[in-house]
Amino acid sequence: MRVSVLRQQHPGSDPYWETFEYDGPDHNSVAGVLDYLNYHDDIVDTEGRRTTRIGWECSCLQGICGACAMVINGRPALACETFIRDLKGPEIRIQPLRKFPVIHDLVTDRSSIHENLKQANVSIGEYRPSAKTDHAHHYAVAKCLKCGLCLEVCPNYVNGRTFFGAAFANDCYLVASRNRSKTAEIRTLYAEHFGKDCSKSLSCMEICPMKIQTLASIARLNRGKL
Amino acid sequence: MKHVLIIGSGISGMACAVRCAEQGIHVTLASPFPSERSQSVMAAGGINAVLSGDSQGDSVDSHIQDTLRGGCRLGGVRAVTGLCENGERILRQLEGIGTVFSVDPQGRLLRRAFGGQSYKRTCYCGASTGKQIVSALVMEVRRYEAQGLIRRRLWCCFHSALIREGVCYGALLFDEAFGGLDAVCADAVVIATGGQNALFGKTTGSTQCDGYAAGKLFMQGAELKNLEFIQYHPTTLETAQKRMLITEAARGEGGRLFCRKNGRTVYFMEEKYGPGGNLQTRDVISREIDALGDSVFLDVSFLGKSVIDNRLSELRDLCAKYGGIDVYREPIPVRPSVHFFMGGLAVHLNHETNIRNLFAVGECASMYHGANRLGGNSLLAALYSGNVAADAIAGREGRQTAPPDFSAETEREKQLLGQDRDTQSRFPVMYIRDLLAETMQKNLGIVRNEAHLTQGLKDIDYYLSIAGRIHYDSSVMPYFNYSLTAILTLARATMACALSRRESRGAHWRSDYPETEEAYQSATVMAYDGGKYSVRLDKERAYES
Ligand SMILES: Cc1cc2nc3c(=O)[nH]c(=O)nc-3n(C[C@H](O)[C@H](O)[C@H](O)COP(=O)(O)OP(=O)(O)OC[C@H]3O[C@@H](n4cnc5c(N)ncnc54)[C@H](O)[C@@H]3O)c2cc1C
Ligand code: SF4
Repeated sequence: MRVSVLRQQHPGSDPYWETFEYDGPDHNSVAGVLDYLNYHDDIVDTEGRRTTRIGWECSCLQGICGACAMVINGRPALACETFIRDLKGPEIRIQPLRKFPVIHDLVTDRSSIHENLKQANVSIGEYRPSAKTDHAHHYAVAKCLKCGLCLEVCPNYVNGRTFFGAAFANDCYLVASRNRSKTAEIRTLYAEHFGKDCSKSLSCMEICPMKIQTLASIARLNRGKL
Repeated sequence: MKHVLIIGSGISGMACAVRCAEQGIHVTLASPFPSERSQSVMAAGGINAVLSGDSQGDSVDSHIQDTLRGGCRLGGVRAVTGLCENGERILRQLEGIGTVFSVDPQGRLLRRAFGGQSYKRTCYCGASTGKQIVSALVMEVRRYEAQGLIRRRLWCCFHSALIREGVCYGALLFDEAFGGLDAVCADAVVIATGGQNALFGKTTGSTQCDGYAAGKLFMQGAELKNLEFIQYHPTTLETAQKRMLITEAARGEGGRLFCRKNGRTVYFMEEKYGPGGNLQTRDVISREIDALGDSVFLDVSFLGKSVIDNRLSELRDLCAKYGGIDVYREPIPVRPSVHFFMGGLAVHLNHETNIRNLFAVGECASMYHGANRLGGNSLLAALYSGNVAADAIAGREGRQTAPPDFSAETEREKQLLGQDRDTQSRFPVMYIRDLLAETMQKNLGIVRNEAHLTQGLKDIDYYLSIAGRIHYDSSVMPYFNYSLTAILTLARATMACALSRRESRGAHWRSDYPETEEAYQSATVMAYDGGKYSVRLDKERAYES
């Protein structure tokens, strides 16, 4: 099976495609494919030319840390839970997330997610829940990986300078509903950096590996019913 | 203005950072990746604490006794007492910052039963306790970031500590962002880099937990403790890249372990231990599976769809996704796997190492768990140890004089890194790491003996002898390359600790010394001096003060 990877040696350098022949086990995930290409033997491209090892990020390898987010056959996904058996076509095309600066190959700098939350100081501080809390939704929202897949697919998210995307909206919801004294302040921030520009394509919900119902967060923040 | 450098941003690192910031101390929190990627997010089951007004009759004293018993009398009494006495405070603090715990309709924390404990005292957040605590702590850290008290540095890996005459003045960090070394001076350095999973290759944990920091500090003079005590989890599902934890809840709900002998299904745990066989402690089941030497399966299919869907849905999804297993119909093939490290950097009660101003917290430090850890105690220990170190640092005068000049050492390390980077070699360090993992799995397994441990030492000595002579592929992150020697050194120290303990206790089981010996009722301490390893029993209990 052919595997094409969009590579980039350094943050500023030009990206280029490189193609590999994968002859490893067919039950592997894309993370497994990358590992296999890197370390099963010397790494060579389809022409037999030696090349450098493919850079990518991982930690838990079971879909709960968000490290290995990338674009696989045009769809943003976690490499560790995308399996060859579920991919269609004769080739796997892998590229880094496109909305974030590339550090090296498939490793991107997603610190804008954290920077935006920090800049807006989205933090609970003190647990003072509103009278009617939706515990199940709080639990789901707090599982956000900050993987950035929702931002990658969002038609309104460009580079995170003004519109901060679904990960931001969900954290805003968590703060506003777990500390009622912050509700007003957080709703203002939310409106500024999310509410006023969200076109409700909801692609973020479809792609989210944690299946977070961002629409529920949005609806409650918009209506102020937390 | 006091400044602390914390290396590692899992639960213990963040707990320490927040506690420092609360006391006005400036913190640099360094890690290669954000906290969401740390191993802490993988903790599922829960965190132990005795809550006041417990209706079951539980008490802090009972928590202390359970912990000491679980640790086979190697956990220090004063340390364990501090841990358990602070359980409720820590839980309330986590609640106070908005952690989404599982609660009853009145909002009271729910608790579940965990192995080795006399009462139900494990508080939890559904099936993602670690993740929920990380999410809450990330917000709390963010609050102090906004105040300018905590500064996160991402893309930073530990390189070495800046030590002069037994005192630590800071650390060299390798910063991926600019591809070079940066010397960071601080009044204190706190190591919070997690366990040493990578020594064993595939484990239940994160690839980021490689033990490098502990290994490097050991080479720089810090002592290590109790390395031989490694917890194996009996039920994990093997995939191409790791061993995934199959929760104890599967057996708690009635799941049965079996193997096949001559076409017959044998429920070996029940045959040997009676109806409660499947709920024996982790070390007992792991040893039984190891002794069988056969494929072992865990069956939950007979529990029915409703139990599986309502109580074991995460397990169902994990098996389907990563093993292609339909647990409604098929049993799960399971194997024991390395899961938790009771040993690590030796620390005093205040979590300071034998090097002044160098602290260690969380799983990379050895405290509390003795020869075996109780499930749910490590999250508590990660939080508590972070607090203890912060308080010790806060209670100390900041440095009044300028730190010594480390520019010569820094320059030398920069040159060495530069030489590595200029090499044209393609030889991957991962090949040696794979060999090491094989050696560790084979010779430092669930049951050990002198022959295997000696062979393990020999193998590692060989890897060490070649490690320094090979040039490694410079196209990978420099960290992978420069970390190898210290990882091997830590592995060697671990093997040597296991060889020196000629008894069986807790997670350390020697087939050639199957009895627990009074003479060994002390921690193993390992020191390093210019290539010389020396091991001793801490009979004076120096690390319990
Ligand atoms: C699958 C699983 C389930 C578990 N379940 C439970 C449970 O239910 N209850 C319980 O109490 N415990 C549980 N544990 C154990 C518990 O999760 C850990 O002991 C605890 O989270 C460790 O936290 P830590 O802060 O010490 O380390 P970690 O969370 O591992 O954090 C280490 C940090 O150090 C950084 N780091 C590593 N190396 C370097 C370096 N060289 N330079 C710079 N930074 C570095 C990492 O990036 C990371 O930020 C479980 C563990 C696993 C693997
Ligand atoms: S909301 Fe979902 S997709 Fe977006 S960062 Fe969180 S986990 Fe990832």
